[in-house]
Amino acid sequence: MKARIQNIRSLSATIKHITLAPDAEDSFPAGAAGAFILLEIPGPGRVWKNAYSLVSGAGRRQYEIIVRRVAQSRGGSAWLHDHAEPGQLLEISGPANLFPIARAAQKHLLLSAGIGITPFLSYLPVLQRQNAAFELHHCCKLDEQEVFRPLLPKAPNITLHGSRNSLDLMTLLSAQKLNTHLYVCGPEAFMDVTIAAAKRIGWPDAKIHEESFGGATGGASFIVKLARSAMELHVAEDQTLLEALEDAGLAPPRMCRGGACGVCELPVLGGLPDHHDHYLSAAARAAGKSIMTCVSRAKTPELVLDF
Amino acid sequence: MGLNKSRPIYEKLRIDPQGRAHLIVTDLEALPQDTIEANLALSNIEIWVVARIARGIAASPSGSRAFRSVADLLSHLSFHLAREPVGLRLYAAGTEAFLWDVANTARAAGLGKDEIFLTQAGSLRRRVYCTHCKSMNEDAVANIATCRACGARLFVRDHFSRRLAAFMGVMVDAEVPNEIPEIEVIYP
Ligand code: FES
Repeated sequence: MKARIQNIRSLSATIKHITLAPDAEDSFPAGAAGAFILLEIPGPGRVWKNAYSLVSGAGRRQYEIIVRRVAQSRGGSAWLHDHAEPGQLLEISGPANLFPIARAAQKHLLLSAGIGITPFLSYLPVLQRQNAAFELHHCCKLDEQEVFRPLLPKAPNITLHGSRNSLDLMTLLSAQKLNTHLYVCGPEAFMDVTIAAAKRIGWPDAKIHEESFGGATGGASFIVKLARSAMELHVAEDQTLLEALEDAGLAPPRMCRGGACGVCELPVLGGLPDHHDHYLSAAARAAGKSIMTCVSRAKTPELVLDF
Repeated sequence: MGLNKSRPIYEKLRIDPQGRAHLIVTDLEALPQDTIEANLALSNIEIWVVARIARGIAASPSGSRAFRSVADLLSHLSFHLAREPVGLRLYAAGTEAFLWDVANTARAAGLGKDEIFLTQAGSLRRRVYCTHCKSMNEDAVANIATCRACGARLFVRDHFSRRLAAFMGVMVDAEVPNEIPEIEVIYP
């Protein structure tokens, strides 16, 4: 599906708000709160496919996303910051949703850090409209407070924390009742700390909802051997394993490209995976028998996959 | 008794180590040892029982409370669950109807599947829902029961409704006209 860049607004030197409009049709497919789209971003000699959460529930006439320029950007976010202009056409797909509002929840506790606020921006109007009981705590760096403040409605149940330390995570989590679901979105370290804290006080897995698209940042290059396809590929520093497979003309399974959906899982026959996903259980990670190709890499110079 | 898909499968009482605190409720006066898999010597376990016959509660272990009736226990439970912080695991042990009364109370308080555990124990007597007049009949022990509200002769089916926490009782004559099966005590 083709989308035209309608508007680009800088929220800060490294964060842009981008509005997309349908090119041929008059409306996009509706994306429920928490949905994301995949953007195909042209780069020198290749195409980046990045997932971005829709930040407004507004829906069908336009999609709005917020893009942070990633420091060691593999290309996608840097292109959107340096080269994207209104009027340009981009290929998009979706929306898909791996992070919906839980219907069984009687109260929603939303915790985000940095750019992880984006899915919650689409939650807020829905929760407010439903008159749902919720609390949002957003953590950001002190110097980004003024970037995020205008994005958040003023309400007693919405709090902006100018540093992660100003949020007393344990006290907040321990004070929640049995009817509360937890949603976490942000950089990997934030997710890990938050989810570990919740589990420590006995928060049941089924009530912890997480999403993070921060995993695919590149890393050391390595060799991947494909047992069934009888191929040997080089995965470059700025390339994901999934992209290496696709660039070789293969069609590996994939969907979210963010380590969240579990679709891209492939069996590992040799070498040690370096997991960056939020899908595999701790036990599955430790076993090292499978890998999420969209975000994970290798700890060993070589990885052998059953593909 | 035929197998029926509506019959839930129950497990032995096992404390979930992921929980921060544990509450065991039972409609029996004590937990039958053969329903317990792990030892309960873990910390932070509370046991609620129904002491129908008023007896000295002195013998009960610490962390245990006795209630006059199932209804009394359930109303305290719903009060308690609305205030209890996340991390609690709830275990119900006892008759099937009690288990689902507890499960429904817990669901209403927002507990999910992995926070409630059910262990069947004690009598197999059934709570029967009269499909004719929609009233509940406790403690049916036979395949045929008489509805205390409308007097209908009910065939106690194997169909258990989790929502109603009761077995379906259908009028005997409605199913097989003029034919009443022999009464057998099958749920002692
Ligand atoms: S594509 Fe979704 S986890 Fe990899």
